[in-house]
Amino acid sequence: MLEDYPVLRRDYPLNETVLDLWVKDKECPYTETKPFSWFRGYHVGGRSLMWGRQSYRFNKWDFEANLKDGHGVDWPIRYEDLAPWYSHVEKFAGIQGSKEGLEVLPDGEFMPAMELNCVEKDVAEKLKKHYNGNRHLIIGRSANITVPHEGRTNCQYRNRCWRGCPFGGYFSTQSSTLPAAMKTGKLTLRPFSIVTQVLFDKDSKKATGVEILDATDNKTYQYKSKIVFLCASSFNSTWVLMNSATDIWPEGLGSSSGELGHNVMDHHFRCGAGGTVEGYSDRYTYGRRPTGIYVPRFRNIYEDKRSYVRGFGYQGGAGRGRGVQVAEFTIGAELKEALSVPSDNWHMGIMGFGEMLPYHENKISLNKNVKDKWGLPVLDMDVEIKENEKKMREDMMNDAKEMLEASGVKNAYTYDYGYEVGMGIHEMGTARMGRDPKTSVLNSNNQVWDCKNVFVTDGACMTSASCVNPSLTYMAMTARAANFAVEELKKGNL
Amino acid sequence: MERRELLKTIALLTGTAVVGGEIFLTGCKNPVTSKSAFTPAMISLLDEVAETIIPTTDTPGAKTAKTGAFMQIMIEDCYTKKEQDAFMKGIEELEKKCNTENGVSFTKLTPEKRLAFLQRLEREAKEYNENLKKEKEENEKTKKEDPPPHYYSMMKQLTLWGFFSSETGMTETLRHAPVPGRFDGNVPYVKGEKAWAE
Repeated sequence: MLEDYPVLRRDYPLNETVLDLWVKDKECPYTETKPFSWFRGYHVGGRSLMWGRQSYRFNKWDFEANLKDGHGVDWPIRYEDLAPWYSHVEKFAGIQGSKEGLEVLPDGEFMPAMELNCVEKDVAEKLKKHYNGNRHLIIGRSANITVPHEGRTNCQYRNRCWRGCPFGGYFSTQSSTLPAAMKTGKLTLRPFSIVTQVLFDKDSKKATGVEILDATDNKTYQYKSKIVFLCASSFNSTWVLMNSATDIWPEGLGSSSGELGHNVMDHHFRCGAGGTVEGYSDRYTYGRRPTGIYVPRFRNIYEDKRSYVRGFGYQGGAGRGRGVQVAEFTIGAELKEALSVPSDNWHMGIMGFGEMLPYHENKISLNKNVKDKWGLPVLDMDVEIKENEKKMREDMMNDAKEMLEASGVKNAYTYDYGYEVGMGIHEMGTARMGRDPKTSVLNSNNQVWDCKNVFVTDGACMTSASCVNPSLTYMAMTARAANFAVEELKKGNL
Repeated sequence: MERRELLKTIALLTGTAVVGGEIFLTGCKNPVTSKSAFTPAMISLLDEVAETIIPTTDTPGAKTAKTGAFMQIMIEDCYTKKEQDAFMKGIEELEKKCNTENGVSFTKLTPEKRLAFLQRLEREAKEYNENLKKEKEENEKTKKEDPPPHYYSMMKQLTLWGFFSSETGMTETLRHAPVPGRFDGNVPYVKGEKAWAE
């Protein structure tokens, strides 16, 4: 295995239960001007099978942030534009969560929420009290269904999501969108197809389809269409654009603004705090809940003002581990007994997930000197976090400890496991939306400014990152753009 | 993440990082693997050592969990050459020491004598590992491979690791619910009840 993953062997998502689902970086290399962890899934269903399932709406401030603090460019849409589409995809995918009435984390169309365990409830109450109702600990909203939905069985609390749930308990292409698309009778699925470029007709200034390379026979095929949606997981959508219409724009379709490949974002994380909780040695849990807790952002909102901009949220949870209280040199029956019961105390831990700003100089580009298994040029990563993120990380650790201690958590400690960009597996940017074709790649309907019948609706389109997990926003954006495309087609505008 | 937790616990209990743990967590296999010279006699010796550490009580012990065979796989797949050599040499040393102290092979000892012998090894291993600390700190700076811990520590690590990831360990000594079907975050716990395997 190590030979197949010379780069990504260093990171946590790789293990034998899901190894066949992560792209082998030996076959599909990339280069790192600066360290970047790039986790990809090139099978049918892609990363929808291995995603973390956390599902949150951006809030109204997220869409105004760039305009207000001057980083990046202004989003061409506002929360109100996306709200109905959040509802649409939440109802379709099935999101469990609790309604909290918080401006910072808008409620959605939720299935009944999974429950906090007894320790998390206790911490939530103490937190609320200590911070006068201004900080909240809620159940992590996730795309695990808690009631049967569209022929799918509700979550069975096995917490085996990554292996592909046989119950269809979480939202994935296989459990949800693919069956729905098959039902229309209009879907042709063509796996093992690497889209190498969008075919562009310079007279009509429109795309006429795509060219693909069949990964199994190395032959190219062309498919014609009226519209093209690029949803190839952020960087690969941009990679396709970079390889398209290069006779007109050397840097690729959508590059006329000079922003294609730029403004890479991810969520920085892997720092926070933990500690032990006493007084619950007579309580335990049953079942393996596939989500944790969430603490919505509280920094730089309302009256709060920090030395950095934007903010972060926390994910984590409480659990009761196994016994480790063993006297020195104990072996035999005594050791076995001690290790077969739960530990006396519970552990509570929270980890920050912070917003990363869109910096123009954080970029990906084509590296034509390195080719993948099929002879295609690869991407080079040149991305780093800067002062704003580093300052935020201090708060992510220290606030976590302070909050845990304020909630009665004992032996609180902070940690920072270190972060390099990409580890969040939330690649965003590189073909951002904007109001001006001179400074953005896509317009407010996710159309490429230079080619109106090409839409990019995955993470590549993101103008800023918020601090919440982004998948639900991509879904809402895609549904909105698809609806727009159909309307335009009907009107004969595309 | 469960396995990460298990490895943390084992490291805590043996006072040294779990040998092979990092390679294991990234899915094995170690490219330097040389088919080491495990014999059936060695496997059964390791089974008996493991059984002394985690014996059969009202539930099966490490021998039933085939911990000896587990050790062979982990050593071949996840140990470096240096660690493999140290382990193989350790098997010899254990036998030699046992013969010197007791006049017979480990497998010929009564359960009580096996326990007493391994308890002495526990102390020896602790001292040995502590003496390695300085060398490890030096290696930290120069990014050199750490020296393997005492052979007994490796045996104990692999025993706990193998047993608590085995079917019997996870379903009989611990509790396991393959398909819980529901979640309850507040159930009564009576002291002595088994822990969930995951």
